Amino acid sequence: MLIADALLQGILMGLLFALVSLGLTVIFGVMDIVNFAHGEFLMLGMYSVYWANLFFHIDPLIALPVSAVVGVLLGLASYYCFIKYLLRGPAIAQLFGTFGLMLFLQYFAMFLFSADYRMIDKGLLVGKSLSVGPFIFDWTKLAAGILSLIAFAVVYYFLHKTKTGKALQATSLNKEAASYMGIRTDRMNAIAWAIGGGTVGMAGGLLVNFYYAYPMVGILFVMIAFACVALGGFGSIKGVFFAGLLVGILEMIFPVFGHLIGSDFLGPHFKFTVVYLAYFIIVVVRPQGLFGWKN
Amino acid sequence: MEKLKDALDFSDFSKAERIGLVIFSVFLFAFPWIGAGSFTTTVMIQFLLFSLFGMGWNTIGGYGGQVELGKAQYVGIGSYTVALMMVWWKVPFWVSMPIGILIAVGYSFIIGYPLFRLKGHYFAIATICTSLVLKDIFDNWNLVGAAKGIELPIHDHPDFLYMQFKSDTYYYYFIMALFYIALFYMNWFRKSKLGYQLRMIKDDEDAAESLGIDIRWCKIKAYSIASAFVAVGGGFMAVYNLYIDPASTMELSLSIKIALMAMLGGAASLWGPIIGAAFLVPLDRFLGSWLGGQKGLTGIDFMIYAALIMIVSAYQPRGIWGIIEQFRKRGH
Repeated sequence: MLIADALLQGILMGLLFALVSLGLTVIFGVMDIVNFAHGEFLMLGMYSVYWANLFFHIDPLIALPVSAVVGVLLGLASYYCFIKYLLRGPAIAQLFGTFGLMLFLQYFAMFLFSADYRMIDKGLLVGKSLSVGPFIFDWTKLAAGILSLIAFAVVYYFLHKTKTGKALQATSLNKEAASYMGIRTDRMNAIAWAIGGGTVGMAGGLLVNFYYAYPMVGILFVMIAFACVALGGFGSIKGVFFAGLLVGILEMIFPVFGHLIGSDFLGPHFKFTVVYLAYFIIVVVRPQGLFGWKN
Repeated sequence: MEKLKDALDFSDFSKAERIGLVIFSVFLFAFPWIGAGSFTTTVMIQFLLFSLFGMGWNTIGGYGGQVELGKAQYVGIGSYTVALMMVWWKVPFWVSMPIGILIAVGYSFIIGYPLFRLKGHYFAIATICTSLVLKDIFDNWNLVGAAKGIELPIHDHPDFLYMQFKSDTYYYYFIMALFYIALFYMNWFRKSKLGYQLRMIKDDEDAAESLGIDIRWCKIKAYSIASAFVAVGGGFMAVYNLYIDPASTMELSLSIKIALMAMLGGAASLWGPIIGAAFLVPLDRFLGSWLGGQKGLTGIDFMIYAALIMIVSAYQPRGIWGIIEQFRKRGH
């Protein structure tokens, strides 16, 4: 029973993780860059919904587009103002560069909003729960899971069915060949960053309904996203979806096992340790991930 | 003997560099007599400590070209070994520090073996992961003080065996000695076989492999050397601060700082980590004490710090030393 409950909760969290990781994998696929600042986009998405709720009394669910727009703008701004210049340098400079961006956004948020933990306390769904048989779901988590699924489906449709999406995929398969076919790489990069920022911003908007917003919240989620992306195979969109689900389930079910065995050492403190370990084992044992095609 | 000669031989540097080194050394020796305040002394000790860390990182990160972002776990291993052995069994520093180095090296071999199957981004993130796992374990392990950390016993009298002194000057000279050992070692290292092999690997792994270099083994060796350096620094941190916790010794930001200083100064050059530390440590400290404490300005020090990282990585990925070399070439 406990396990079934954890499984369902894990799937809901997993859908959200998939949405968080989606942007990271798109950006990685298109331009081979690992965006450390991804978690900070999430954090700013969370804050944008929080402030919209606090100052303008907009319901967190209705404010969701705000966080998506904030994410898109953030992605575009970081690409045009910074990442573009970073691409000329070696890989190590790119890693440090996005890391610098991450630190900058973290402390920018701390400067503006202080280090307080903030949580939304009023909204349509906040605090309400739905009971189906023996299971109890928080409406906020249910909404987060379902909306994440919808957002993921929309982006998936965009990437696979529209012309721009196909051009994006072509760029991630082979940048040079794509540019010979008349696809503008620079524009594709910008679109990848817009998608990346938008999806993760929206994920932040969903997350803030049931999770604290604070300046350092990003690092935790970016590590989860890294694990999902690695598990799914760097650059694979289908892969990241299933990887997200798997990580979500893993993270929920692990403390339950600890509880069942009665071991303190497997307690909830270690639920993210499992994610880090999972990443390490996956990339060492199977570097291409579950569905990966880049190596 | 040959090795010692190599280590002390700076003749392949330009005259300006050698003069710079002499002036810098004189300054280091004379520093405690200048009569600087205790704050400046602390900053100098931090500077030497981070130069030591950076020089260690430079073996694998600079010469080897591997983006290693998990050095903090070895700071943790070094400092926890010293602290725990002192608290539990009253083992003197001079015994526990070498043991700490041995543990760090052993651990680095265990971790390094699977780790160096990976390349590029995969490797960088995996190093972060291993470091965070260790931090999580120490954060929750009651036997080693969990997140509260451990305090080292304070002796009434200055005690050389346990490295307890009344004045910071002793610590200063001790870390300075370590710094010079590291500097001479690195001077030998860059001319050693492993040093050349690593640079070859950095330039072109396939070519290196076809020449019969065992890439993975070379990387593991360099990684364990780096870990040993960092563990020494960690041991020093334990006796100097007299208090350690996972947050101050194993935090991700420490790993980043270590790598960043070497990169900012100029990776794969002997002076790079020193220049980087000389630049970033005072900046970090002074920004922190001027701006960090002021009301309404929390975080602005790190914002400046981060902006600097962004600018350097976008415009001069070869670091400060790269800029200096560029100017020198133009001058000729």
